[in-house]
Amino acid sequence: MNKSSNQQTQNNTLTKTVVVVGGGIAGWLTAGRLAAHHKAKSNTGLNVVLVESPNIPAIGVGEGTWPTMRSTLIALGISETDFIRECDASFKQGAKFAKWVDGKADDFYYHPLVLPQGFSKIDLAAYWLNKQGKEKSGSDKKSFSDEVCFQEAVCEQGLAPKTIRTAEFGDIANYAYHLDSGKFAVFLQKHCTEKLGVKHVLDDVTSVNSIANGDIGSVATKHNGNIAGELFVDCTGFSSLLLGKHYQVPFKSCADVLFIDTALAVQVPYEHENSPIASHTISTGQEAGWIWDIGLQHRRGVGYVYSSKHSSEEQARAVLASYVGDKINGLTVRKIPIVSGHREKFWQNNCVAVGLSAGFLEPLEASALVLVELSAQMISEQLPATREVMDIVAKRFNETFLYRWQKIIDFLKLHYILSKRTDNTFWTDNRDPSTIPQSLKDLMQLWQYRAPADHDFTSNNEVFPAASYQYVLYGMGFKSDYQHAPHLLDNWHFAEQQFAKNKKMIEQAVSALPTNRELLDKIRQYGFSTI
Amino acid sequence: MANLVAVNNQQHQQLKVNPAKAELHGAELNLIPVVLSEFINVAVQYPIVLTKNGDTGEFVFTAMLGFETHENLFWQQGQWQGLYLPLQIQRQPFFLGENSNGEGSVVCIDLDSPMLANKSSEAQSQSLEVLYTSAGEESDYFNQAKQCLGQLLQGEHDNKLLIEQLKAFDLIQPLSFEITFVNQQKTRLNGLYTINQDKLAALTSEQVTKLHQQNLLQPIYTLITAMGQMYALIERKNQKLSA
Repeated sequence: MNKSSNQQTQNNTLTKTVVVVGGGIAGWLTAGRLAAHHKAKSNTGLNVVLVESPNIPAIGVGEGTWPTMRSTLIALGISETDFIRECDASFKQGAKFAKWVDGKADDFYYHPLVLPQGFSKIDLAAYWLNKQGKEKSGSDKKSFSDEVCFQEAVCEQGLAPKTIRTAEFGDIANYAYHLDSGKFAVFLQKHCTEKLGVKHVLDDVTSVNSIANGDIGSVATKHNGNIAGELFVDCTGFSSLLLGKHYQVPFKSCADVLFIDTALAVQVPYEHENSPIASHTISTGQEAGWIWDIGLQHRRGVGYVYSSKHSSEEQARAVLASYVGDKINGLTVRKIPIVSGHREKFWQNNCVAVGLSAGFLEPLEASALVLVELSAQMISEQLPATREVMDIVAKRFNETFLYRWQKIIDFLKLHYILSKRTDNTFWTDNRDPSTIPQSLKDLMQLWQYRAPADHDFTSNNEVFPAASYQYVLYGMGFKSDYQHAPHLLDNWHFAEQQFAKNKKMIEQAVSALPTNRELLDKIRQYGFSTI
Repeated sequence: MANLVAVNNQQHQQLKVNPAKAELHGAELNLIPVVLSEFINVAVQYPIVLTKNGDTGEFVFTAMLGFETHENLFWQQGQWQGLYLPLQIQRQPFFLGENSNGEGSVVCIDLDSPMLANKSSEAQSQSLEVLYTSAGEESDYFNQAKQCLGQLLQGEHDNKLLIEQLKAFDLIQPLSFEITFVNQQKTRLNGLYTINQDKLAALTSEQVTKLHQQNLLQPIYTLITAMGQMYALIERKNQKLSA
C-alpha cells in the first residue's frame, strides 16, 4: 500500500500542518491541544487537519479520567458546566477497591485523589504503621486511607468534591471525572472545529504515501485526494494504521504480567431518578478479574474484565449477571477483547501514535485517557519546529512514554501481588514471582523497611506519585518495618496533630458538601461561575 | 423558619404588627442581601460585597455587618445601631409569594415573626399598626409595606442586570484576605467577591458607554466606595473586643 514519491524533505522544512488520522477522543484531544496551543485559528498559526472515517465507530473505552482532565479542558478553553451537561459527566474522587485482599464482605480500601495529610512535611505512613502495631482490638483500628485522608469519608457518604459556590474547575477535594466517552468525542469535535480551528475531513484513508527519507508525505483518501502534512498523528485505535501497519513498529505484549484479556461491558440504568451517584470508581475483585462500576448522571457503566485463561465466557457472564442483578436481562452486554501492551516506540519518523494505536492496559487505574492527555500535551508543547529537530523530539517522546508505560504496568501489577485471595488460580498465578517485573520487585524489597517516598520516583514524568503506592500498599495490609530505625519516628507530636487535623477535615467536609447527585442536578440547573 | 400565609382582609383584619421590631430579624445576620436602588444608603456605613447563593451558586450583593456567622456588629444592647436598615429587614414581616394559580404574586405574612402582637397585653400598645382599617381597606402601613416589597422585586431585576454585565466584562474578582484583630485573633475571609478595579479601568469607551446607558456605572462606583467601609467594620470589631 506504500507509494513512494519523489518529494524531498529538507532538514529545514517547517512544521506547518499536522494531520491527525482518527477521530475518537484521542484524535480530538490531540488535535484540540495542538490547535489551542499553536493558534490554528490565526493566519500564522499551525494547520491542524483531522481525517476521520465515517464508517468506523469509536471503541469508547475509558469512562474514568484523572484530575489532569481538568487542566486539559482548561487548556482547550472548555467550560466545565458545558462539559458536565453535555457529556453526562460526574465527579470521581478516586477508586474504592473491594474484595481485593481476601474477598470477604468487609474487604475494601480506597485510593483517593487527595494526598495524605501533611504529606510534604511528614511521612505519616510510618507513624500509622507504628500505631497499628500498638492498638489491640480490631475495632479501633482505622484504615490507612481513612486516617490520613478526608476523602474516603466523603466518598463513603456519596458526597461531591465541591459545592455549587465553588468556581468551575476549583475544588474542595481533588477530583477527576466519569464521562460518557461517546458523548465526549462528539462534544470535543464540535469544540475543536467551531472554536479552535481544526479542519475536519470525513473520509476513509486508503493508503499512506512515503517520501524519500521514509517519512509520510501524505495520506490518500477516497474522496478528498492526498492530505499532506509535516507530522502525522496516528489515532486509528487498535488498527494502528500508521505506526503499526505502515511502519511495522512491533507490539510489546505484557500479557505475562497482566492477565486480563477480555471485557464484558454493560450500561445499567439507575433504579430511579434519585438513586445516589457514587463519586468514585468502584472496582470489585471477582474470581478471575474484577468489575468496574462507574456512575454517570443517567446510567452506570459496569464491566467485568477477566482472564480467559482462568474463566470461561459463560462463567464470566454469570459473574457479571450476579453483580448487576436481575435487571441484566434485557440489557446488551458487549464483549471487548483486551490486548495488554504497547508499541516498542511511539514516534517513528514523522509519525506519532496516541491512544489505542500506542497501546492499551486494563482500566484498573484509568490510565488510557491520561496517557492520551500527556501525549497530546507533550506533542503540542514540544512540537518540532522543523524536520531537523523532529528526531530529537521523537527520541525524548519515546523515552518518556516507555518509562510511563512501564511504571503504569508496575503499578497495576502491585494491586495483584498484595492480594491474599486463593479462590482461583487467577489470583495465585498473579503472585508467581516470574510474572512480577524486576523493577517492581526491587521497590517491594525497599519498602519492607520504609514507606514509598518521592525519591523512589525520580523522573519528572511520573504518572503515579509515591502517595498512590502508599494507598495501595497499606490499603492492602502491607507492612513496612521501621524497627531498625526508631529515630525516624521522633515527631509524634506533629504526627498526632496531622491525624487530628484529618478528623476535623472529615467533619467539616461532611457537613459542607452536598451529595454528588444534588450537585450534578444544580449544575444542570444553574451552572458554575467562572470565579 | 418563616411560617408564611397569604394576607387577606378577613383572617388578618385584627392582626397587629409592631414595625419597630423589624430590626430583630437582623440581630444575628452578618450578611444581608441588598438591592441596587439602596446601594447609596447602604454604602454610608456598611461594606457591600458579592457572595454566592448557597443553593444556586449565583452572585448576590450583600451588606457585610460582621466577620463570622451570627455576628452583627451593628446590633448592640438589643438595638440596631446603624443609620440605615436594609430593605430585606425593613420589609419584615412581609414576603411576596407566588399566587396559587401561578399568575402574579401575592403578599404573605410570617406568622412566626416576633413583630406580630398576639398577646392581649401587648395588643394594647400604641406603637402597633393594623393591616386593614375597620372598613376593611388596606392601612397606610400595609401600603408602605407593599411598596417596600415592590422595591425589592424591582431590585431583583436590577441586580441581575448588573451581575450579568459584571460577568460579561469579567469585572468580578475574589476577595481573600486575613484580618488580625486587636486581640491577635485571626480571620480569613473567603467566599467574598468585589469589583476588579484594574479591569474596570481598562474597559473600552464603548463598554463604559454601555454601562452608563444602563445606569450601571454609578452602582459600580458605589460598590467600590463601600469596600472602604471594611476598615470601619474592622474598627467596630476591635472596639467591641477591647470593651
